[in-house]
Amino acid sequence: MNVRSLLGLALVVALGVLFWWGMQTKDERSELPSALAGRPAPSFTMELLPRYRDTWGEELDLGAYLGKRPIILNFWASWCYPACYEEAPILEAAWRRWQDQVLFVGVNTQDEVAKAEEFVARFGLTFPNVYDPRGKIGIDYGMYGVPETFAISAEGRVIKRHAGSVDAATLEAMIREVLP
Amino acid sequence: MKRTVWAWVLVLALGIAGAQTVGNEPPPDLSPEVFEIAKKLRCPVCRGESAAESNAGVTEEMRRQIAEMLAEGKTEDEIIQYFVDRYTEWILYEPPKRGLGLVVWLAPVIGLGLFGFGLYSYMKVAARREAAADAVGEEDLARLEAELAQDDGSGGQA
Repeated sequence: MNVRSLLGLALVVALGVLFWWGMQTKDERSELPSALAGRPAPSFTMELLPRYRDTWGEELDLGAYLGKRPIILNFWASWCYPACYEEAPILEAAWRRWQDQVLFVGVNTQDEVAKAEEFVARFGLTFPNVYDPRGKIGIDYGMYGVPETFAISAEGRVIKRHAGSVDAATLEAMIREVLP
Repeated sequence: MKRTVWAWVLVLALGIAGAQTVGNEPPPDLSPEVFEIAKKLRCPVCRGESAAESNAGVTEEMRRQIAEMLAEGKTEDEIIQYFVDRYTEWILYEPPKRGLGLVVWLAPVIGLGLFGFGLYSYMKVAARREAAADAVGEEDLARLEAELAQDDGSGGQA
């Protein structure tokens, strides 16, 4: 085999490897950077889903908690199946365990109230969930799609972002990272 | 007959023009300016679609926020920066013409240049080979002619 044939073969192999690498399907959303990392978490005041109003009032003002205690902010929707359905019981279990130290806030995104209520009832979610039919808060947080979870430090800064369904170990690691 | 043909041509032309207008028109509740800005932003949940083309919920909200910011008197640059602040430069539909983004813009030019250089080199070598082949042909021809002439001479003597 002469040098020219070897070079030709190497080129074909290199193109093949490039093609294979390009075709790898990765969940690129979870790898995307968060513009907010290390920056102050955007504040918002949103209407709560009806079932939380007796305990938390008509609206939840995140600004009242930012800078006072760590916050886990979770974006979800009833139409987000199965990812949001998988993580809902994990979030509730973590909230029950850490509620003395960390505030959990759910943001129901671009959904219908009745369907959102059905979802929270199904999983017995006891942490406050606000209703954002436009998905405005999601854009403020640079969210790519539901579900997404943000860990906010006690100083009110965004420390971690997790795209996709969050598992118990990842959630615990996120919580521990923002605990004072 | 001629009139009928022209009438059909007119109907077809109007139909095509109408179809194009319908396809490109933004929905009536948002101004074309909103879509011009949305075209420069990526749909966060789609692949290869701008915020102007996509019907995803998040892009509907993006367009609505663009419309609100325009109504507040914000400039196009300010609106685009608003989204970059939240999503990083990833949100730009066209990569910025600096840093790594510049590589994306220059890659086709570099590729075309390399292709042109390769083609030029190939043509040059091919032309040289052809010239060499022509030169050999003339020599051979002269030699053959000489040999033939010699053969003819000796044949005549026999």
